[in-house]
Amino acid sequence: MNLVGDNLFFLLKGAYYTLLITVISMCFGLMIGIVVAVARLKGNRPIRWLARGYVSVIRGTPALVQILVVYYGLVDYGITLGPLTAACAALSVNVGAYLSETFRGAILAIPKGQTEAAYASGMSSWQTLRRIIFPQAARVAIAPIGNTFIGMLKETALVSVITVTELVRSAQLLIAQYFVNMPFYLGIGAMYWVMSTVFSWILGTIEKRLSRAY
Amino acid sequence: MIQTSGLSKSFHDLHVLKGIDLRIAAQEIVVLLGPSGSGKSTLLRCLNGLEDPSGGSLEVNGIRVDADMPASKKRASFRDIRRDTGMVFQQFNLYPHKTVLGNVIESLLIVKKLPRTEAESIGMRLLERVGLADKRDQYPSRLSGGQQQRVAIARALATEPSVMLFDEPTSALDPELVGEVLAVMRELAGEGMTMAVVTHEMKFARQVANRVLFMDGGIIVEEQAPEAFFQHPQSERARKFLNQLNER
Repeated sequence: MNLVGDNLFFLLKGAYYTLLITVISMCFGLMIGIVVAVARLKGNRPIRWLARGYVSVIRGTPALVQILVVYYGLVDYGITLGPLTAACAALSVNVGAYLSETFRGAILAIPKGQTEAAYASGMSSWQTLRRIIFPQAARVAIAPIGNTFIGMLKETALVSVITVTELVRSAQLLIAQYFVNMPFYLGIGAMYWVMSTVFSWILGTIEKRLSRAY
Repeated sequence: MIQTSGLSKSFHDLHVLKGIDLRIAAQEIVVLLGPSGSGKSTLLRCLNGLEDPSGGSLEVNGIRVDADMPASKKRASFRDIRRDTGMVFQQFNLYPHKTVLGNVIESLLIVKKLPRTEAESIGMRLLERVGLADKRDQYPSRLSGGQQQRVAIARALATEPSVMLFDEPTSALDPELVGEVLAVMRELAGEGMTMAVVTHEMKFARQVANRVLFMDGGIIVEEQAPEAFFQHPQSERARKFLNQLNER
């Protein structure tokens, strides 16, 4: 384990990238998710189909393939993204599809009477979503969003294949240097676990606060 | 104030309203009676566009909607109507994530875009009117059904509507809580509000209504002053309806 201690700074840098990719992808994923959920619920027919197609394709293909398509595939069309950019783009698009389903379910869980009361008071469709439906749907969605977030944290391991030096690739680089496997793999395993646990705790606190509100 | 002509509403091949001609004058209180499924709630909900009418036309306070208008124009007209009407629902439909005062002032902030302090002073006046000023910071889940419905009435009154629509406002309440809601409605009637009320409260209909409309099977079967209606119903269907109520 001394090897891990000696290279802790290098591994922490990997953990930093893991976190960075997770947080950026979740932020964009949340935005994509809300837009797609609303598109599926309120859009006209072509928009609804487009949104459904997106969710279907993303959920029906491996994240690894999506990452490869964005990083290597797009090069064929003259679009060259840096590894980090490609990783964040691919994972945002990926997690957005899953989150859109979460949001759609949460929005549908709010009783129709809420929308009717808001409409009857003169509010527009958008005002009703923003002021009445989203705040209530957020409460329903927070627990599944937390699960997705933790899942995302671990899924970032996939982007090691496109040379992003996150945790897994940091470990692999060290292994190539020292010719020992176990300490590094156990080390990063422990780091993933610590990060997931901390996030679970933070999300649990948010969830508690949201449910106390009313 | 309210006028419909040939108003109809169908859900697929179920015809819920079959050509309603309705007139409600300013300051008039009209009670809609009828067995369940007779279309009275649907009629009320067509007046502010919560149901999209399938045929005919309606006019509320000078704003006209034809069923065959283009969708966007219809939506805009209904929105204008809604700014000038208040609606009270059977299930209250208070916003659970907002306080009592927050519920009342929401449309003032968002639709009328008043500054918060002004909205709050209007909101407090309304809460005093329904006797719930002391509950201003509570969430609706802490209130009894009767209190919730009184908040809902205050909320509907916030934008100073010229018409109030009541859709079975006391049907979801425990019997001992009905009185407090009816009392608020009586007061409102006394102040000259134009009201259309779907209800099963016969005493309220008798004492407060200027006119009773009896609906059955999607049409208005009978239209009378309350005393005349309850003592001498003209139609067989109305007689049967009243008899069934008396047997309870």
